[in-house]
Amino acid sequence: MTMIIDINTYIGHWPFRKLTHNTPLQLGCIMDNAGIDLMCVSNLNSIFYRNSQDGNKELFKQIQSSEIYKDRFLPFAIINPAYPAWEKDFLQCIDNFGMKGLELYPYYHNYRLTDRAAVELIKLATQKGIPVHLPCALENHRQRHWLDVKEDITADSVKGMLSLCPDADIIISNGQTARMYEELQPIISERKGKVYFDFSRVNAIDAAFDSLIHSIGTEHIVFGSAMPFQYIDTQMVKLHFSKLVQNDKDNIMYKNLQELLNL
Amino acid sequence: MKDIQEKMYLLKNNKVVNWHEHVWLKQGTGELNENGCHKLVRDAKLAYMDYLVCSTPISGGSPNPEETKICNDAVAKAMKLYPETIKGMAFINPGYTKEALYEIDRCVKGLGMIGIKLYNHYFASDPVIYPIIEKCIELDIPVLFHAGKLMSRPESQPYLSNGEHFAMLANKYPEAVIIHGHIGGGGDWLWSLKAMADSPNVFTDISGSVHDSGIIESTYEMMGADRMLFGTDMSFPSSLGKILGSDIPEQDKIKILNNPKFEKYLERGV
Repeated sequence: MTMIIDINTYIGHWPFRKLTHNTPLQLGCIMDNAGIDLMCVSNLNSIFYRNSQDGNKELFKQIQSSEIYKDRFLPFAIINPAYPAWEKDFLQCIDNFGMKGLELYPYYHNYRLTDRAAVELIKLATQKGIPVHLPCALENHRQRHWLDVKEDITADSVKGMLSLCPDADIIISNGQTARMYEELQPIISERKGKVYFDFSRVNAIDAAFDSLIHSIGTEHIVFGSAMPFQYIDTQMVKLHFSKLVQNDKDNIMYKNLQELLNL
Repeated sequence: MKDIQEKMYLLKNNKVVNWHEHVWLKQGTGELNENGCHKLVRDAKLAYMDYLVCSTPISGGSPNPEETKICNDAVAKAMKLYPETIKGMAFINPGYTKEALYEIDRCVKGLGMIGIKLYNHYFASDPVIYPIIEKCIELDIPVLFHAGKLMSRPESQPYLSNGEHFAMLANKYPEAVIIHGHIGGGGDWLWSLKAMADSPNVFTDISGSVHDSGIIESTYEMMGADRMLFGTDMSFPSSLGKILGSDIPEQDKIKILNNPKFEKYLERGV
């Protein structure tokens, strides 16, 4: 079976709906069943703690607790650039904890991606060779809890940042991939940094799915499940019916992320 | 560990009835979009679906009897194109009571449709629905309602029914067979499940683009497999992923794929 690297998984507590499989052990089990080899993982607690770094420390500690976790989980740091000491926290995550990516939640942490601190953080990540993961949403807005936020990341909220940070490698997951790509394509083509999308919300199988993947280019597509928020089999079904050639499938299932994360 | 190919045997080796699908009109015409219909059936066969129960609803405004007739004639055309696969549900607007009752007769007795489809023109608990439900009871056919509890932009569908409306209707007509459309159609599915859990004549199909983990397990826990129906509503990967990925017994997945309680309706459509 082809190797799979998943860009979008979580551990930690979600305050708005009961999640199962949100510990490293449970997440690892369900990923084993699905044939996922490596998981980029962040801690939901980093979104909701005032001090996000406490969540990053929890994530680091949990992954360190088992050799299996160290082999399978690729931790991503959730940093809030609107909160003091973000630079120190980010450097600790990368230099001391060995985290592989930066993950941003402007809609929960109440800033815009074009704010000065956010741009500085993304540029710092780029200097360190660290990609930036932007999950567009965690739950579909139609069923969000009344205390949850109303916003998602959209093409409009990304455009300015892509221009201000032209060297940054960006991964956009769990969004309206086709529409976002169409709107961002003119900017993407002029940048040095790469932009990747997942297909978790692409609602098509067979030729329609393959056609969309080809139109974006398999060099720009990565696998993302949004586990434990969503059933992973929804993504597997798309790959099952896809008639992409193996090399294209390899790109989207692992090669692009392998290269991006220097694995 | 089963990979997705092995999991697909669940559909390949069992009868699969898709209780929530649509065929559409060619844009700007009153004719069936035959290419869309061909693609739908092709995709369905690829995923081992045996039957597609289809309707052609109009979502906006308040469609008049002529418009609903055009929709239903398109469904009848699809049924003729694929008599072994496509079963029809008659779309009606309950606001036109007399015409709606006539249209139900025309579609069920004349065109061989097996149920009716209601959209979001009235709440399921609105008295305007009552004569329609009484007609469905008389003909012994199910009624499939567009549904959801929208947490964002509820004003976009002001008369969208959620589980509470279904429970009220079921309480008034315990002999009716009422299907809550697409539990994964977007909205607070837990709200609706809790509200209609104790209404035994309310069923739900699992279709819709939402594939939140736990949605199938919660539906199973609160309503039971006997009250669940497989469906896709234009969302094949999500609907397949939900049923394949859920942690419920395989025998109950098989029951959901072809709920025995609903088999008599399929036979009637032959």
